[in-house]
Amino acid sequence: MHEHSYDIVIIGSGAGGGAVAKELAPLAAAGRRIAVLEWGAKLADDAYTGREVEMARQLYFDSGGVLTKDRTLTMAYGRAYGGSTVVYTGTSLTIPEEVVRRWDVPGIEAEDLARRSAKYLAENNVHLLDEEELNDNNRLFRDGCAALGYRVQQFPINVKGCRSSSLCNLGCPNSAKQGTHRVQLPAAEAAGVEVITNCRVTRVGEGSCEAVVADPGFGLPTTWEAGEHRVRAKVVVVCGGAVNSSALLLRSGFGSALPNLGRYLTLHPALILVGEHPHPISNFHGHPKSFYCDHFWESERFLLETCMYFPFTTSKNLIGFGAEHSELMRAFPRLQMILVLAIDPALPANRVVLDRDGEPVVDYTMGPEVLDSLHRSMVASARIFFAAGAARVHAPAGATFFIDRRDADRVEELIPRSRVVPGKISVASAHLMGGCRMGRSAADSVTDGWGRVHGARGLYVADSALFPRASEINPYVTVMALADRAAEHIRTNAGELLAS
Amino acid sequence: MLVMRSLTDTQARFFETVAETVTPEVASLDAARRARLLAIVDDALLDRQPSVRRQLGTFLSVIRLAPLVRYGRSFDRLDGARRTAVLRWFESCPVALLRKGFWGLKALVFMGYYGQPEHWAEIGYAPDFDGRPGVRRA
Ligand SMILES: Cc1cc2nc3c(=O)[nH]c(=O)nc-3n(C[C@H](O)[C@H](O)[C@H](O)COP(=O)(O)OP(=O)(O)OC[C@H]3O[C@@H](n4cnc5c(N)ncnc54)[C@H](O)[C@@H]3O)c2cc1C
Ligand code: SF4
Repeated sequence: MHEHSYDIVIIGSGAGGGAVAKELAPLAAAGRRIAVLEWGAKLADDAYTGREVEMARQLYFDSGGVLTKDRTLTMAYGRAYGGSTVVYTGTSLTIPEEVVRRWDVPGIEAEDLARRSAKYLAENNVHLLDEEELNDNNRLFRDGCAALGYRVQQFPINVKGCRSSSLCNLGCPNSAKQGTHRVQLPAAEAAGVEVITNCRVTRVGEGSCEAVVADPGFGLPTTWEAGEHRVRAKVVVVCGGAVNSSALLLRSGFGSALPNLGRYLTLHPALILVGEHPHPISNFHGHPKSFYCDHFWESERFLLETCMYFPFTTSKNLIGFGAEHSELMRAFPRLQMILVLAIDPALPANRVVLDRDGEPVVDYTMGPEVLDSLHRSMVASARIFFAAGAARVHAPAGATFFIDRRDADRVEELIPRSRVVPGKISVASAHLMGGCRMGRSAADSVTDGWGRVHGARGLYVADSALFPRASEINPYVTVMALADRAAEHIRTNAGELLAS
Repeated sequence: MLVMRSLTDTQARFFETVAETVTPEVASLDAARRARLLAIVDDALLDRQPSVRRQLGTFLSVIRLAPLVRYGRSFDRLDGARRTAVLRWFESCPVALLRKGFWGLKALVFMGYYGQPEHWAEIGYAPDFDGRPGVRRA
């Protein structure tokens, strides 16, 4: 067992961990020892090949297909230097005031989160793309929404020198996307924060953690030797993401004092619809995600976003198989895609648990309200495709594989609610939230509004696990804003927390 | 040498048979691309918990034998239309476990086929690190 001693250890280097590392960097510059322990690897710039299977294997847990316990939903979350920010699309939104009000966490104010979010929007070079940078897949969505009178907005995105490769979810091959691997982590390292990759933390306690370093067979070499490590630290900040932060604390025995640990997980269950145009459109060139429609946000609890996926991901999200499936895949250059996201309620029964080996299992059930939202979102999307000129539409719950344009006014009937069946339609999640929710006390939550774990000294959570309910928008900026709060609390109380 | 490390040879061969129904193009793959398909699936299975491999093995047996009840023949001895009918039944099966098992199996086939860059040209997918010239107007 190798032994180490630090003032502060940050577990995970994604949106949360990266933000904490950068915000605590002044302490490192002032001589404090700070380490980020990251399970994933750091890839060399030229290792981003854009090849789907290879990149998914290197950058995601289970290649981006972690299954929930009942196997009705797959979850995508990153494992890399930079966490999910290496593979996210970079759409950068500030959490709406109404949602913060619904969160109802003492000390968490919309204005405070907006101020902190603005800092990260600036740091990450967030801006709107110019009209000439938008491809047809995105413009058709905007035009279809506009024709129907649906409210549609352009996504601000965090790119610098984007070359329109559309490969964001496989890691940007042009180093353009401003994830924590490009912005916050290099800045933190420059100030003296150490980042140890290929390092999985297996247990945490107040004042220490245990980790295992292993070479995954790809990526740049790490600085610690392979094997087991014990790390003493005065402050431990857990930023492993919603599933892994919850699992780490459960495995470390915090579950008995914190009955809400792992619970209230929300996922924004999502699915993909495809509209086929009579002629080729530009779709796999251009930034993939430029617009969203929040017209049904309050009324039907869903959001629609543009998207463009790669061949394997697209194929598994289509319903069916055989000749008609192949026919649709062969229409790839004519496909318009929409991602729909249901806004799911936070329920105690939806949670992270551990299996016999101590590995996380996500026990999550899509309730009737989520299935209703998914159903209504498919109907709305089909209308948008037709309004944008599609010749036919493939909806996962369609009564037929294709809905033809001449049946455009029958979409309601041709996408029956009865066909929205979990396990048949492909539902996925890339927005994992909760499990270590913020709140008042151990009776209703796991941490306070600063991310301090109730009843544990020097132990913080600073990532998407903190969300008490869904963010109802793309979450990464809010993750960074919450991590910023945790870092501020640590900085402000450093004298007391780091006293030997 | 074993065809796959995650499945027995019999299971691997049967997986290929199912794959030909799921993605008809698989039937005309040359030996190298067929081997690549199995290798991609193999890697994916080896990355997952051993229980996933066991479940897949069991599910393949269920698909092979299920048609005995209806057609008096195992899956591999059915014609193409009946193989499709059997898989359609699994896809919409009221028993959630079977429905989800088929979804997982189908996803593995798609990964093995569409995960090969060699097949992108057939579907017209041509990514470019510099996609700017391709962002043209409809
Ligand atoms: C494909 C995809 C697209 C997305 N697109 C967007 C988008 O456009 N806009 C948006 O707002 N959000 C998007 N998101 C969501 C966003 O990326 C996440 O909400 C955000 O990154 C979560 O931050 P986090 O710090 O909680 O976790 P992550 O960013 O996932 O980071 C967690 C890190 O912790 C590491 N870790 C976990 N456990 C351990 C351990 N035990 N020891 C050591 N390290 C550990 C992991 O390897 C990982 O690197 C997307 C997500 C995905 C997957
Ligand atoms: S579209 Fe832009 S940000 Fe996305 S991967 Fe390509 S170059 Fe990078």
